Amino acid sequence: MADAVFLALSVITIGSAIAALELRSLIYGSIALMGTLGGIAGFFLLLDSPFVAMFQLAVYVGSIAVLILFTVMLVKRELIFKKVEDKRRKFVGIALMLVFMVALGSVIMDSGIKTITTDEPAVDFRNIGADFLTYYWPALILMALILAGSVTGALILARREDVENEQRTD
Amino acid sequence: MSVIAPNFKFSEFVKSILDNVFWILLIFALIGLPAIQIILFYIEMPVIDGELLTPFLALTWLADPSRTLPILKAFMTTDLFKIAAFPGFGFAALLAAGTIFIERKMLAKLQLRVGPFYCGKIEGILQLMGDGLKLISKEIIIPAKADKPIFWAAPVIFVATAAAFVALIPVAPGWVVADVDVGLLAVFAIIGFFPIITILSAWSSNSKFPFIGGIRALHQMVSFEIPLILSLLGVVILTGTLNLSEIVASQSNFPWIIFLPIGAIIFFITILAELERIPFDLPEAESEIVAGWLTEFSGMIYGLVQLGTYLKLYAFAALFVVLFLGGWTGPMIWPPFPEEIITDGIVMGPITVKIPGLPIFSQEMLNGVVWFVIKTVGVIFFILLPRGVFPRIRIDMLLSLGWYKLIGLAFVNIFIALGLLYAGVLGPGGIL
Repeated sequence: MADAVFLALSVITIGSAIAALELRSLIYGSIALMGTLGGIAGFFLLLDSPFVAMFQLAVYVGSIAVLILFTVMLVKRELIFKKVEDKRRKFVGIALMLVFMVALGSVIMDSGIKTITTDEPAVDFRNIGADFLTYYWPALILMALILAGSVTGALILARREDVENEQRTD
Repeated sequence: MSVIAPNFKFSEFVKSILDNVFWILLIFALIGLPAIQIILFYIEMPVIDGELLTPFLALTWLADPSRTLPILKAFMTTDLFKIAAFPGFGFAALLAAGTIFIERKMLAKLQLRVGPFYCGKIEGILQLMGDGLKLISKEIIIPAKADKPIFWAAPVIFVATAAAFVALIPVAPGWVVADVDVGLLAVFAIIGFFPIITILSAWSSNSKFPFIGGIRALHQMVSFEIPLILSLLGVVILTGTLNLSEIVASQSNFPWIIFLPIGAIIFFITILAELERIPFDLPEAESEIVAGWLTEFSGMIYGLVQLGTYLKLYAFAALFVVLFLGGWTGPMIWPPFPEEIITDGIVMGPITVKIPGLPIFSQEMLNGVVWFVIKTVGVIFFILLPRGVFPRIRIDMLLSLGWYKLIGLAFVNIFIALGLLYAGVLGPGGIL
């Protein structure tokens, strides 16, 4: 059962990832990207961590995909994208991806993942929170600093001089 | 009075019905029954209590009232019943239909109109059915150069997402479709799908007004999702769980609205914005952009979107009840099932009928459902009420309300919850 679900999820995730890259229509591409991100949420569900899966859905599908969709709808595609048919770049890209996949796969296979027993109960999210506040606190602080920095940067980028609008009378 | 069918004769009508019945019976006897026999010949029937379950036996059991109730009770524990009928879609759709009628009638009274009046003779109670029949019978018009797959899929996905939201709501103890540990997070994840569906359907119709409405809906929903999530964190901090059933069970003594009134108010305002109701109905502003992102929908597609909208309204009202008003908890007002019917059976003169399997529902469950429905209807009333009172606000006012005021207030609410927790008043190990 789990194997069938895993296979279906893999097909959905990888298939929609390829579709997201290759589709000509940007809207359909971003819908395919949503499929990829949702498929990853499905993998998290299979791995007995519904907490992470729900955050994956809420953050990636619910927010980031919406932002991508929003941006894509507001641009004129012809103005910013020019399709360059370059076979060599494509093959180099695929080769690079294969190298990365082999390297990552070998690292993951060596990390002892095969000896993990899979019938353990789902990880309690309270433990995740406790770990974050005790053992992994430097990571938490680092994340907080990065987030604060990016929010500040976004605010500075979004700041503008107040334009006087002649049409408004109030 | 207009004449719908001028050549209508009642005798002809009866004759046509009898004609149809005759042909249906004839075709069933000649083709249907042999087909069933052939199918039954190849199916292996199960053995129950040492008896082979023949079709005759199955029909006997179904017709026997002493066996019907246990079969019915067994059916009510299945997932199919839960999804389709009671805590799931059917129950929610019933409440949603009631909501539509009450809304129209109440708005009319508020604005000194009559409202639906003629359908069904008594205060227009059949208006909804008439509207439904009208929507089903109308043609579905798809705009030229519309993106057809998305245009067709969006209403269906909208209803499905609203139904998924409904499935997470616990109605009575143990009566919930999906009792997940991370229920509240699942709610957040599902809420995140609504803006995507809205903007995709708006874009796919290839028309100006829907697109403007869709962009407005996206702005509004995305900016009000953040205070919505933040306003619920107070409840999570105090209960220490994300499971909605456990959150309800934690309010057996007092509802959280007593301690977190600010969170409840923020959540209520964000509900209004997420549901696109007045005063936040900019995406459907009928005096500016026709009907917003619903402009190009017609026929049953429009009906599906409306169904989804009202299912969403029910789900949000129920979520408010679950999180802040104590869900199904309340004093016992449902009378207990009379004991003598279980022990002695129903005595009618010389005849005594013993019905095994009674009572169908426990007293706690019925009482919980009554309290849940009363509270939910109350919250729905308060969601409907601003429509008769407030004007529509500008979009810059909407966004500044969402981003500045509500998020700030949500943090105040979180600090109140943390203060109550660390002062040892509430929460795990608190004095209350």
